[in-house]
Amino acid sequence: MRTKVLAVFVVAALAATTAACSKKDDGGTTSTPLVVGSTLSLTGAFAATGIIHKVAGEAFIARLNANGGLLGRQVEWKVLDDQSDTAKVGQLYEQLISQDKVDAILGPYATPNILATMAVAERHGLVLPHHTAVLAPQLTYKCQFPGWSIGPTPNQFIPNLLFDALATLPQPPKKIAVLTSQSGSAAFVTNGFGNDKTGLLTIAAQRGIEVVVNAPYPPTISDWGSIAAQVAGAKPDLVINNGLGVDTVNALTAMKQLGYRPPMTFSLFPAPGPLLGLGADSAGVLSVSIFEPNAPLISKAGADAQAIIDDYKSRATTAKIPYTAFETQAAASWNAWQILAASIKGAGKVDHKAMCDWLHANPVDTTFSGRLTFDASKNNFWAPTLGIKQIQNGQWVMVWPSDRAAGTLTGPTAS
Amino acid sequence: MITLQAAVTGALVGGLYALMAAGLSATWGVLRVINLAHFGLILIGAYLTYQVATSWGLDPIATLLVSAPALFVAGALLQGAYDRLGVAGFNSLLMSFGLLIVIIQIATNIWTADFQRIAPELNRYATGGLPLGRLILPTPALIAFSFAVVLIGGGYIALQRTFVGRGMRAFAEDRNVAAAFGIDHRRLGLLLGGLSGVSAAVAGMVFALSNSITPTTPYEWFGTVFAVVILGGVGNLLGTLVAGVGIGVLSGLVSVIWSPSTEPFMLFLAVILALLLRPQGLFRTAGAQ
Repeated sequence: MRTKVLAVFVVAALAATTAACSKKDDGGTTSTPLVVGSTLSLTGAFAATGIIHKVAGEAFIARLNANGGLLGRQVEWKVLDDQSDTAKVGQLYEQLISQDKVDAILGPYATPNILATMAVAERHGLVLPHHTAVLAPQLTYKCQFPGWSIGPTPNQFIPNLLFDALATLPQPPKKIAVLTSQSGSAAFVTNGFGNDKTGLLTIAAQRGIEVVVNAPYPPTISDWGSIAAQVAGAKPDLVINNGLGVDTVNALTAMKQLGYRPPMTFSLFPAPGPLLGLGADSAGVLSVSIFEPNAPLISKAGADAQAIIDDYKSRATTAKIPYTAFETQAAASWNAWQILAASIKGAGKVDHKAMCDWLHANPVDTTFSGRLTFDASKNNFWAPTLGIKQIQNGQWVMVWPSDRAAGTLTGPTAS
Repeated sequence: MITLQAAVTGALVGGLYALMAAGLSATWGVLRVINLAHFGLILIGAYLTYQVATSWGLDPIATLLVSAPALFVAGALLQGAYDRLGVAGFNSLLMSFGLLIVIIQIATNIWTADFQRIAPELNRYATGGLPLGRLILPTPALIAFSFAVVLIGGGYIALQRTFVGRGMRAFAEDRNVAAAFGIDHRRLGLLLGGLSGVSAAVAGMVFALSNSITPTTPYEWFGTVFAVVILGGVGNLLGTLVAGVGIGVLSGLVSVIWSPSTEPFMLFLAVILALLLRPQGLFRTAGAQ
């Protein structure tokens, strides 16, 4: 009797396991989810931006699953908090790949973390779409695919983009002050990268633009008073702050305390909300962007764009993100997810070699950056869609290049 | 003129460094507690200023009516806990660092990791400046310096001339002898912890006047504030003020004459030299001052 009961129990357990593994739903699809693993900086120094990628990713997956998922499987996202600690990132991806056996991975936030992940992805031969690493020469793994591109030489592209835009003004700036954060994510724009020493300083010289202040500063700077005094004394036509986060806010505030406001200001990678928070004091400030939710650009992005932007805004509000606009970071995140989804669909299976080959052989149509193609000889960095945006009437507006502009670049703001 | 302007601005900003360092220096000198959680209290002080000013439309300086009592209680409770658990010296460094991380996480949960800043229309101090001949004294830095002079000067006078102050100095000199003369170290500790919390509230308020706040900001303060404490002499309030101003001037001058990027190098070179020549700190004589 005991043997019979045991046999029935074993058979029932096997049946249940089998059912769990291969149960068919009404649509005839398997219910085993396709799991994507990644880390994000949900706490620590990068958390303010990490949360944007979390919200964007959740919005993407909800939309993807509502449309049937991938290969008939619902997609789940296992996201771990790397605490903005680069040392933890590689270990967490190892855990996701080796222990949790995720089907695919997506990059973390911030260049140092993405570089740490790249080594793990390469070791396991996995496709690595990522949002925000733009230093193309460092990203040498052939199956890493960027969701944000400033081309193969970002140190040249950004200064030329800016100076080209400014050259269209009736009175382009002749004297500039260059304030550079000594952060690996910003200094390359001023000084060049690696053996390529071409950067903003050399390009300005080539174009006959005089650098009247060149002030590199530590990322932990707390007193902007002395820099403000130098800039106010030199009275440049344009202040270029190749900095991050709230550097430009702090610099403009310190200058205002001295009764000075630069005629024009460029901020490389600012936190977008705080600059807008300065009100009239930040009117006319310039920066770079791959997408801004301006009506003409939304319209150009296609029928789905407005719904995506609205959904993101709703989720960002719930997540208590202060600046809820769907802009560069969220767009880069969306691109990375679309690259991953396209590679799986294109390969027809979760086979990373096939996915990588497919991406090299086929373009990916993205909602916010258009059609992307990946050339391994350029480290997969596609033709940049980066443009210049400007604060106009309290909003960021894309103003350059003209084919992606939603407004007109305006010149110096009256002090 | 640019150099002079940078030096003057640096001197005034030194008031903020001194305010941040005063509470840390006092508890270290008197109670032998190296309280890294003090940086967390400054952070909470900054966030309370932001929150109260934003939610109630209160003048940012007036937010001290809320933040100072709140952080007095927090500082006293913290010191009470250290005392009850017998935490001091190197242990206090480790434990208070853990507490700082907890405070940062709590701040992240409440205010998110994003940058928060008092809206310009609620903060008339942020971009103001007081002309003095051809120089301009930035308003937030001037406020920081004024608070530093009043609080630190007041604290110094209290230490010299009141019974409680003398008790604290005696306690800092020799705990056992002070206890034999009836000095209740627990009450003194609570009071000093509370006052240290008030200094954190003031430092946080001044910081929030012209800066964006994010939960990880305290890590940026470590180097400069410790330099001020060590140069000023642990437990020496006046020394803290002088060291804060000195470091501010040095930072401003180095920034203009060489480059802002050389500022940390020159600052800590000066600290190392000062410690080699006067390991007790530039101004320390003995005990709490």
